[in-house]
Parts: sequence; structure tokens; C-alpha cells
Amino acid sequence: MRIALPLCALLALAPPAMADVERALDETILPGFFSFATATEDLARDAQTGCTPEELSASYNAAYDAWMEVADLHMGPSETRALTIEFWPDTRGFTPKTLKGLIAAEDPVVDDPAAFNESSIAGRGFLALDMLLFDPDFAGYREGDYTCRLVQAVATDLAAQARLLNEEWSGTFAQTLRSAGEAGNATYLSKDEATRALYTQLVAGLEFIADTRLGRPLGTYDRPRPTRAEAYRSGRSLRNVVLALKADDALAHALADRPLPETEKAIAHALTSADRVTDPAFQDIDDPQSRIKVEVLQQAVRAVKDAVEIEIGVPMGITPGFNSQDGD
Amino acid sequence: MIPRRAFLASLLAAGAAPTLGWADVGNPSYIAAAKLGDGSFALFGLAADGAQRFQVPLPARGHAGAGHPTRAIAVAFARRPGTFALVLDCASGEVLHRLHAPDNRHFNGHGIFVDGGAVLLTAEQVSEGSAGRIGVWDADKGFKRIGEFDSHGIGPHDLRLLPDGETLVIANGGIQTDPHTRAKLNTETMRPNLTYMDQQGNVLEQYELDEDLHQNSIRHLAMREDGLIAFAMQWEGEENAAPPLLGLHRRGWDAPVLAEAPLADELAMDAYAGSVAFTGSGEEVAITSPRGGRVHRFAPDGTFLGVVSRTDVCGLATHGNGFLASDGLGGLITIENGEARPANRADCAWDNHIVPLSV
Repeated sequence: MRIALPLCALLALAPPAMADVERALDETILPGFFSFATATEDLARDAQTGCTPEELSASYNAAYDAWMEVADLHMGPSETRALTIEFWPDTRGFTPKTLKGLIAAEDPVVDDPAAFNESSIAGRGFLALDMLLFDPDFAGYREGDYTCRLVQAVATDLAAQARLLNEEWSGTFAQTLRSAGEAGNATYLSKDEATRALYTQLVAGLEFIADTRLGRPLGTYDRPRPTRAEAYRSGRSLRNVVLALKADDALAHALADRPLPETEKAIAHALTSADRVTDPAFQDIDDPQSRIKVEVLQQAVRAVKDAVEIEIGVPMGITPGFNSQDGD
Repeated sequence: MIPRRAFLASLLAAGAAPTLGWADVGNPSYIAAAKLGDGSFALFGLAADGAQRFQVPLPARGHAGAGHPTRAIAVAFARRPGTFALVLDCASGEVLHRLHAPDNRHFNGHGIFVDGGAVLLTAEQVSEGSAGRIGVWDADKGFKRIGEFDSHGIGPHDLRLLPDGETLVIANGGIQTDPHTRAKLNTETMRPNLTYMDQQGNVLEQYELDEDLHQNSIRHLAMREDGLIAFAMQWEGEENAAPPLLGLHRRGWDAPVLAEAPLADELAMDAYAGSVAFTGSGEEVAITSPRGGRVHRFAPDGTFLGVVSRTDVCGLATHGNGFLASDGLGGLITIENGEARPANRADCAWDNHIVPLSV
């Protein structure tokens, strides 16, 4: 741990541990889901008029950017829906299998949004689009081809999911968080629990960036795994890391509502480290010179997590889950 | 079951110590271990509504316990691999007996009373190699060790007595552990099984999962009144595998029924089920995942019914026609027909299990 501030000083500085769920909802989370719904609506509409990579890249990237603001919140309605929007990591290769299966059979499910909504999550969401639009195996389709209709179906489904997520978050789930500790709330039995839940998402998100978004492609020194990078086909891997980090920064500040000098320093360092990464898709990490830059970024993200734990978690008295960390 | 009064009378007649009954400690419905706000550990008796009935100190973190069917005594097991278990007087908090695992044996966290409370059976393993054993203790004679038999698997974790009062069902988790560190030694080759056996050590029926699920450790058990067994599993294979975490079986079935939620829900459980229980009506069975912060409900035929989200939820027990669930934040919630309601909240972290008392 590289934070030098003595613990007692931090505790003395800390305001009462009643961090602001309201602020997190109103300033970052709910606007994030609203933007995501809007951006995917644009994507779905654009896909109807042009389904090829050239025609759709811009709105695809805009929608994915919007998603990254809320991607690492795996709570409430997002607990499962986040996986439908981004089925990753796909350790067993379900997405290519599902897409190839649909195409080989020219499965009419693509013409029925309700049925498509019930189909395998591996064939839906951003990673399905990433593969259809940018993988050579699926390239070369034209307007009217089955693959084009599949692209349109995935885009339409994304917009429908995003609309639901926005409704669920801004409706019942925001209320569940806001009414933490009130009679009848069986999800959050006290105000603190709602704060804790958001804080847990923040820390888990930072861990996911370091261990999964960066850790999976890094693999081991002897065996780097560049094709395990997130959305590498569209070249978004690094961009996703940066956007997720910025979303975590916003959430941290909304929760704390006070200067977080160590966290800010660590995030600035992480963003600088990200600038130095040579390939935004991490495809060059079998070169030691390139690899080390991604490793430095990974360390920098871990330092952000350490800073957040010291500056936000400790003053709130939050410790890791008693049972989830145990296992028996 | 022998009526409590008659049983107590017979005990007294036999000159046994007149230990108090459960009514004398407020008629708790459950026992559960917890870590308290000050960092110490205790075993609690809980009423049906989650209210605390008694609290007795524990020297270290517990795992599960076993409540005597009539006398107000509970056995608290150390976390696996543990070498001791405590027999506690739930009225006075006094440690009545300290059970030491014999040389080269470890307790694995669970145990049950059989023969109306006359005998305690404990899930154990041979320290070196983790071969399963069921330890036999005479509860009427100061919890003297009176024998043991093979559990017919590696690393047995949980066990139940079938409604016939004689047959045991054992969850042999399949995991070989280092006797000193809990480190898992055989996750590539493990073969958990569900074993029905008599108390002389003979196998009556035994089931393994299909080869592709050999890394799914069968760890915890629940039983419906009619003998339907539910088993909860913990995956030791590769990440993001989303294996089924609940199995159902009844003696004589060709194979267990494996119950799965839709893929996104299954992934959100993080390949880990901590506890399993039936509702009182037997029309639902549920598993908890502290890692996923979720309770998954199923019908007894394996159909997925729905999810209840609750941070660090792990303990689960029958509660009327629903469930009582406990968590590491000190919460107790009831779940009936998928409807979660807060029952109680304490300044403690509830440990892995809630054990119902069969009184």
C-alpha cells in the first residue's frame, strides 16, 4: 500500500459515514443509464438504414462509450442485464458459436424482437456486435444478407435492454436504494448498507479493470493472450479501460463528496499510463516493450483501488464480505 | 420422535444429568454462529421471527452446529479442517464437553444427532489424504468417541438422516485438503459423490455427477420430510463456467436432477452455493450465494422460480412456508413466495449457516 497518510488522520478528517447514495444516483448513475438508452436508440435506428461496419461504427462506438459509464454496476437490474449487454469474458467461446449457429441456420429469430430477447445472451449485446462488425470471419456481408439482419436484431435488442435498464434503475431500484433502512426494504436494511453496496461496486469495478480487462490479455509473461482482450476486434480495449476508470472516478467523488487527494493522484497516474500504451487493442503485448506498458497501467489501476479503500472504505468502516470472502 | 417429556423422564430415570430443554432457553427455532461487532464470536439461538433467544460465546469462528433434539445443548464445529467441537449448554453458556478429533482426523464443519439425540455423527476426514469418515459419539455418555465408519468418498462435508431414522445421506465434497492450510490439492481430479448408507458403513446407493461436472463439489444438504434430498454445490473448475449449483435426488432415482437458472442468473451466482433449504410446504427449494449476493428459488422439479438479492447472504433455513436467510451484514430476512421481508438486524456478521432445531 503506497498511501502514506496515517489512518488516524484520515478518520479525523472523515465526515460522518453517511455517504451520498442520492448524489451517486442523481449525478452519475441515473444520467448514465439515460444516456445509454438514448445512444442505443440511435444505434438501433442507424442499423436499420445501414448495417455494415462503415455505416455503423460511429453509433456503435458512441453507444459502447455510453455503456462504459455504467458497465461496472452489477447490482439491482444490472445484476443480470449487464451480462446480456456485454457477455464478457466469454471463456468458452459461446459468442462465436452462437452467432455462427444462427447464421448457418438463417434462424428466423432475428425477425422477431420478442423471440430474440429470449435467445441466448451469448449471441446478444456489444460483444456479438463487435464480432459481427469487425471479425474477418463475419466480414463482407451486404444489406439484406442474413448477417445484416442479425446486426439489426442485436442493435434493436440492445436498445430494448437499455430502455428497460433505464426504466428499472430510475424507477424501482433507485427507490430501493433511496429507501434503505426504511420499513419493508429487505434489500438494504440500513442507510449504510446502500452506501456500502455502491462502494462495493466501485471496488469490484476497479478490480475488474485490473484483473480482467487488463489481466486476461496479459496472461503470463511466457504466454500473453492478446485475443482475450475485451472488444479487441473494434480496437476498444484500452478505451474501455479508460472510460471505466473515469466512471469509477465520478462514482468515488459522488460517494465521498470531499476531496480525495490520493485517489485523484492515482487516477491521474493511471490515465497517464494509459496514454503510453502503444496498441489500443493490446494486440502487441507479446512484445516485452509493449507489455510492460500495460503492466504499468495494471499496477496503476490497483493503486487507484488501494487509494479508494483507504480514502473511502476505511472511513466508512467497510470491510470485505464475511461469507463471500470465506468459502466453505 | 420421542415426546420430549417422556424422553427427559427416561433420561432422569437413567441418572443422566438433568440438562434443560429448549423451552428453558426461550424455545428457539434455529441456532446460528456469528462474529460480533467487537470481533468475538458467539452462537445464537433464534426464534422463528429472528429474535435472539440466547447467546453463548465461541472461542473462534464457527461453521455450523447441531442442536440436540430435546436438550438445550448444541454442538458447535470449528471451521474445517478443525480439530475440535464444543458441546455447549445453551442456557448457561457453559462448555459441557470439548470434542477432540482423534489423531489423524479432522472435523469438516457439520454433524447431526441421531437416535433421538443419543448419538452424534460428525463429518470428518483422515487428515492425510482426506478420505471421508463419519465419527460416532455417545451423546448420553459424555460424548465419548465410540467409533467411526467410511463415508465412501473424499472430504465429506454435510450429512442428513433420512425419514426412516436409519439411512444416512452424505455429501462427499471430493476435495482433498492440506491438513494444515485448507489448501485444495486435487481440484483437477476430484470426484464428489452423494452417498446413501447405513450406519454400519455399508453403501446403499451412490451417485457421481457427469464427467464434465466432476469439479462441482457436493457440499451442503437439505431434506424434505418425504426424503427428497437437495444438494448445493461449489465449483472448483475454470471461471465463468456457470455450472448448475443445485441438485435434487431421491433414493432409487437413476440420477440426480440438476437445477439451473438462466445463464445470466447462473453467472451472477459466481459458481458458488453456500446453503440450501426447502420451504416448510416442500414446494420450493433455494440456494444462497454470498459471492453473488443472491438467493435462487426453484421448484422441486428443478424449475427456476426467481431470485432475491441480498449482500453476502449465506445462511438459509426453512421458515414456515418460506425461508429465513442470514448474511454477513447482520441481517435476517424472510422470503415467502419470492417476497423478501426484513426480519431482524443485529450488530454481527452471521456465519455460513442457520441450523433449524427440530423441536
